[in-house]
Amino acid sequence: MSTEHGAIARIWNWRITAFCALILFLVALAAVSFGPISISFIKVFKTLFDLPGGSTGLDRTVIMQLRLPRVVLGILVGSALATSGAVYQTVFHNPLADPYLLGAASGAGLGATIAITSTHHNLSGALPIFAFAGGVLAVLTSFFISGKFFADPNSLLLSGIAVGSFATAIQTYLQQRHSAALRPVYSWILGDLTNANWSVVAWSSIYIAIALIVLFMVAKQLDGLMLSDEEAYSLGINPKKLRIIAVAAATLATATAVSASGLIGFVGIVVPHLVRGLTHRVTNRSLITIAMAGAAFLVLADLGARTLLSPAELPIGVITAFVGAPFFLVVLRNRRKVSQ
Amino acid sequence: MFEFFLKRKLVRVAPALILVSAFLSSAPVAQASTKPTRIISLSPSATEILFGIGAGSQVIAVDDNSDYPTNAPFSKLSSFTPNVEAIAAYHPDLVVLQSSATGAANVQAQLLKLKINVFLEVTPNNITDAYSEFVALGKATGHPSLALALVASMKSQIAEIIAKYRKKSPVSIYHELDNTLYSADSSTFIGQIYSDFNFANIADAASGADSGGYPQLTPEAVIKANPKVIFLDDAPYGESSSTVATRPGWSGISAVKNRHVITLPLDIPDRWGPRMVDFYRFIGQATAKIN
Amino acid sequence: MSIVITDLTVRYGDKVVLDDISIDIADGKWTCLVGPNGAGKTTFLKVLLGMAPYSGSIQDKGVEVFKSHHRNVAFVPQHPQIPQGMTVAEYVMLGRSKRDGWGNESLTSRSYVHKVLTETHLFGMQNNLVAQLSGGEMQRALIARALAQEPELILLDEPTSALDLHHQISVLNNIELLKDGGVTVISTMHDLTLAAMFAERIVVLQGGKILLSGDSQQVIHSPELKRAYDNRIDVYTLDSGRPVVVASKDRDN
Repeated sequence: MSTEHGAIARIWNWRITAFCALILFLVALAAVSFGPISISFIKVFKTLFDLPGGSTGLDRTVIMQLRLPRVVLGILVGSALATSGAVYQTVFHNPLADPYLLGAASGAGLGATIAITSTHHNLSGALPIFAFAGGVLAVLTSFFISGKFFADPNSLLLSGIAVGSFATAIQTYLQQRHSAALRPVYSWILGDLTNANWSVVAWSSIYIAIALIVLFMVAKQLDGLMLSDEEAYSLGINPKKLRIIAVAAATLATATAVSASGLIGFVGIVVPHLVRGLTHRVTNRSLITIAMAGAAFLVLADLGARTLLSPAELPIGVITAFVGAPFFLVVLRNRRKVSQ
Repeated sequence: MFEFFLKRKLVRVAPALILVSAFLSSAPVAQASTKPTRIISLSPSATEILFGIGAGSQVIAVDDNSDYPTNAPFSKLSSFTPNVEAIAAYHPDLVVLQSSATGAANVQAQLLKLKINVFLEVTPNNITDAYSEFVALGKATGHPSLALALVASMKSQIAEIIAKYRKKSPVSIYHELDNTLYSADSSTFIGQIYSDFNFANIADAASGADSGGYPQLTPEAVIKANPKVIFLDDAPYGESSSTVATRPGWSGISAVKNRHVITLPLDIPDRWGPRMVDFYRFIGQATAKIN
Repeated sequence: MSIVITDLTVRYGDKVVLDDISIDIADGKWTCLVGPNGAGKTTFLKVLLGMAPYSGSIQDKGVEVFKSHHRNVAFVPQHPQIPQGMTVAEYVMLGRSKRDGWGNESLTSRSYVHKVLTETHLFGMQNNLVAQLSGGEMQRALIARALAQEPELILLDEPTSALDLHHQISVLNNIELLKDGGVTVISTMHDLTLAAMFAERIVVLQGGKILLSGDSQQVIHSPELKRAYDNRIDVYTLDSGRPVVVASKDRDN
């Protein structure tokens, strides 16, 4: 970043975003290339881009029907969770906020449990819808409980905790009464991308794309939410309206991600900090970069999930937790350094 | 900037989208009419059944939880969290998959996409359903008559055992899953085996608490019910007749006083293969003298 | 920006916070709002920020301008929300959102911020974190951000309350910088002495009504001022002619 004479250097450099896009592309390519069935990298590349000499038969199906949809879903879910996490951290002035803050996780978990424990077997096929509805309803309930629809961040947070606890309690009760549901609910809660197929990709991509486009469009103005409401007004934004839009879009992205892949943790907290820490910038213009970093992070984690303990699947939540937990220590250490 | 990113994504997805539409317009996979020769079993019970109906030589791999018969081709394939690609790497022509496995529906769909046939094994609720699955497996693996013969043999052996050991009047029993007093009521598979012997299951009083058939009982309820026999399914977790006797208030229970606390053998109660006969025999013999 | 306020009333529920206020705010001058807590000073500022719904009219050259937040009004809060991890340069750059749009870093903006940082003696600290600034430096950063906006009107809420004497004076000198650009300044202040020292006009608010308004010297020496403070103040004039307002002990009355 060069400094022109008489002018300060740019705060945000879009070359960072371009670089991140490149990383994501390479990571995705690598992820599609690895698996228990070994297919050469060249063949994978040729198959993906429909060049002559690509794989056929079983290999081709493995690439295009097993690996590719899973990688694409990883990109969608990873970018949804990372972006939502970043937005929530800004809106709530809380660096430890995550996408599941306003009860979305517990609501979705309750929805999934209801679907799984329902006595009508065909309802369990509608699990994504139940999880989605549960997540969205939980967030809406948090808004209503906190008193006013344009509630301030702190009371929203508290009502989110209340709603989340209540939903978890109901879920636990249901699980106790339907022990056969324990295993499926548990593995759903751990989160995984194993259910990835092109139809899941199709519906989840619509909602996640809408949510992310909205968030990217308001990203620049989100910087105003880092200040008090009066300061935000003076700088020309309506912080109450902006908060609603941001939280609504982030919740849509989160609820979709959760209904497609369960509760994958840590992505929403870790990735925004990673990007902000590496770039030394907190501006929300980093949102596109954060989205792509989240996508790459999850695709890599999923690669680990399906290869580290092959031929068994490691729950992806375990890998993100292994990375996430020490990460918190690093964040903690940096905060202490800064305040000294 | 963002349009550039979006275009990038579309370029990558386009070839896949073309393939998806091609696949959707192709004919569905036809069922195999010939005998499968490369079978993978992802269910410990199915493994036992396959070897019991004469299909053992067609089995190329069994999951990591299977342990019987001891000469089965064990592998690291997971029965609970199957990895489709790893399964496909064996080039099987039939996969026996538990419907209770994580994402079973999706695993099945993906295997079918790879033109690999799938036998979805549903955990039976009772022995009649179990026999039906034996027969179905027999048909799927090319041994229909051997399967029928096995079923007939099991039926007659079990009928003999029941005739010999069935109690004339109900004998109260308590089946313990763990030391927090989770039990199994008569709606479960094992509960029905107990019913065959005319045992009265004390957990039935609490069956409303769990639709799956595994309610958690309170110590007072067990003491009050005063079962004549206690079956321990939690020996691997350190429970035995001596530990049960030390529980406060339990020494007065009929089963404890008369030393009718029976430790169940491992595995056999959880499997519903050919060794079910052995389990019936074990129960019958262990409770022969109890009335 | 000239501000003509007529019959301004603000209610929060049943409570009337500003009661039928009419006043002209002088263009290009520094007006100081004083008065006891709860008099409505902060609400007055919020109205001018376009944050509080009101009845009555507030006009600039005959145009009703404050119904929304689209005027270029800079605000220096008493308690700013300090963003973690943000550098001073970025913080001041936020002020350019009014003139340049959010997140745009045109050469014009970056040069202007350079100039502003220099004027407020923050240039050397531009890469420091805002969260690590001292009280006085933070005030300078807030004023720098306000300057970066190139505003028509600047509102300052108790700009000196949290500062020691030395910093109070330097902040007020900085605010005079703002005024020199022809900008209209309105501040709320507890300290009447400082208000008299720096502001050209003083408006005394009490219970949502204007008790007194006019030239600061006249207001300071007016007997009605003492009444507004329950006769608990004394006004002295120094040899230089500067008024000093001090609290008096009850026993002296």
